[in-house]
Amino acid sequence: MTTQTAIFRIDGVTKSYGGVKALDAVTLEAGVNEYLSLLGPSGSGKTTLLRVIAGFEVPDSGRVFFQGRDITNLPAHERGIGFVFQNFALFPHLTVRQNVAFGMAHGAVSVSAEDTAQRTQAVIDMVGLTGMEDRGVDQISGGQRQRVALARTLVMQPKLVLLDEPLGALDANLRGRMRNELRAIREKMGVTFLHVTGSETEALAMGDSVVVLDRGRIIQRGAPDDIYSTPASPDVAHFLNRFNLFDGKLSGGTFTGPFGTIAAPQATRASRDVCAIRYDRLQVLPLSATPTGPALKATYIANEYLGSAVMNFFETADGKVVEVEHHLSLGAPQTFEPRQDYLLTWAADQAIVFGREGK
Amino acid sequence: MESRVLKPILALYVAAFILFLYGPFIVLGILSFQQGPDGGPQFPITEWSTYWYQQIFGLTPPSRIAPLPVGEALIRSLILAFMTMVTSTVLGVMSAQAFRRKFRGSSFVFYLIVLGMMVPGVLTGLGTSLLANNVFGITRHWYTTAFATHVAYTFPFAFLVMLAILNRFDGSVEEAAWSLGVSPWKTFRKVTFPLIFPGVLSAMLFAFTLSLDEFPRSLFAAGGTEDQTLPLAIYGTFAVEIHPNIFAFGVLTTLFSFALLSVYGILMGMSVRRARKLAMQEDIA
Repeated sequence: MTTQTAIFRIDGVTKSYGGVKALDAVTLEAGVNEYLSLLGPSGSGKTTLLRVIAGFEVPDSGRVFFQGRDITNLPAHERGIGFVFQNFALFPHLTVRQNVAFGMAHGAVSVSAEDTAQRTQAVIDMVGLTGMEDRGVDQISGGQRQRVALARTLVMQPKLVLLDEPLGALDANLRGRMRNELRAIREKMGVTFLHVTGSETEALAMGDSVVVLDRGRIIQRGAPDDIYSTPASPDVAHFLNRFNLFDGKLSGGTFTGPFGTIAAPQATRASRDVCAIRYDRLQVLPLSATPTGPALKATYIANEYLGSAVMNFFETADGKVVEVEHHLSLGAPQTFEPRQDYLLTWAADQAIVFGREGK
Repeated sequence: MESRVLKPILALYVAAFILFLYGPFIVLGILSFQQGPDGGPQFPITEWSTYWYQQIFGLTPPSRIAPLPVGEALIRSLILAFMTMVTSTVLGVMSAQAFRRKFRGSSFVFYLIVLGMMVPGVLTGLGTSLLANNVFGITRHWYTTAFATHVAYTFPFAFLVMLAILNRFDGSVEEAAWSLGVSPWKTFRKVTFPLIFPGVLSAMLFAFTLSLDEFPRSLFAAGGTEDQTLPLAIYGTFAVEIHPNIFAFGVLTTLFSFALLSVYGILMGMSVRRARKLAMQEDIA
């Protein structure tokens, strides 16, 4: 169906290392001019997936297609797919300009010295490194190195760029700025980005669509807001790091958990019975109050100030930590007494229930 | 408390080490300035002179002491050491490069290579000469059979040096080059080789110096007098009588070695500065 506009497609790709499956029959495609972010915990196979597409690893089975061509057995340097490394992997013995010009100067496609110089300068200007051309790559900051890595890749005008946790090595402030720049640069160049990250906020913020990977399998793909509001499984909810997950039992349209039994008419099918409630959907009431919805008794432990919100931590009778987020835009936070018991409650329709009996 | 006892002991140990390392050379150095041609290879110095140095270069009138027959042997040894250096380093880099990926039987091949520096030199030399004479029926020469034993001996050293260097080498810079459309061979030339160059220098130095003063293998594997390497030629002169001209020659070769080391040091310094950049880059990761 989308084969016409798909820039790349991988078909049932499996890759094992010493008997452990890093990728388990993964099928994925991305369209032209798309920003795809790939979210997964460490060990989920997300870096392996990138390396298979780039040609650094050969899959055990399955095929890799790029621009309609089967490239499964094509060596990396003949693929024309860009790759940005987490550690940038700049050439330490070359200057900024030489790093950027490297692919044109030594690649198979011969580019005239004039064109090389002109294209190099243009891309250096675009990523904002004007004036740094003759510095060694050890004489520039982390953020500037990131730009060199990006410039070096983009100057080759690839149709697909793979980014392996490209912002992981930067500090938080810079990370925020580079996020915007990455998006802007991508839109300007009209290339497809496949951005691997272990950070759920980065994945949701950057991708036109988000792919969630776990233990070598794709467990959900969708628009960021869809993934956020309707995670497909307890695992996705867990990776998003925004949900309290309660184990329980789903049976006959009701879910029984530590908070009692609630109606669960819209449960999602999953391999285990879990009720997920977003951090910011919980309300805290004094023990004496009479909640209108389901409620759970919990002991207040501590809080954490996050700038725009306060995160409160409670512990239930069975030792589970429940997080309650309060956005400061909604008013001053409540204050709680340590070691005191409170009632945590939520609107019944805010809970997302997963279970073996789900649909 | 501990260091108050330990420090002087260690200092003493280092002093003794340096004395044993340089003591013999200092004695030789002093004796090389003995008066000639009648002064002998022992103390006291009857009179300071540079006679024996002049004799090496043939600047003295003929006397009863024949000039050292080492000129041609020296040239031979230098050429042999150079050939060995180039061959062993190329082999060492290539084989260490192969060991970056585990392959079937890699540990067996590893021990097979390293065995080259473990096997007693006398046996290798003797074996080679028997092989050449009795099995293949070829004449032994310094540039054939002796060269082969020198390579077999120095190659493991070059291999181990390169293995250590490549173990710490971050392959992602190579992958980055490939993803820019640069072929693996060009990547090796433009990225890998410049970055492992300090290791290549060390491997070269090892191979050169080990070959230059190799004795037991050359003894059997090099042919007759016209195939003698420098260590063999020097040893040959001991058999007759020892004169201070040998000491003078020893001083000169040592100075040559120091010059070689200095070149190595300078090149190394330049490469290390480059390597430091790489290390900084890795720190970020």
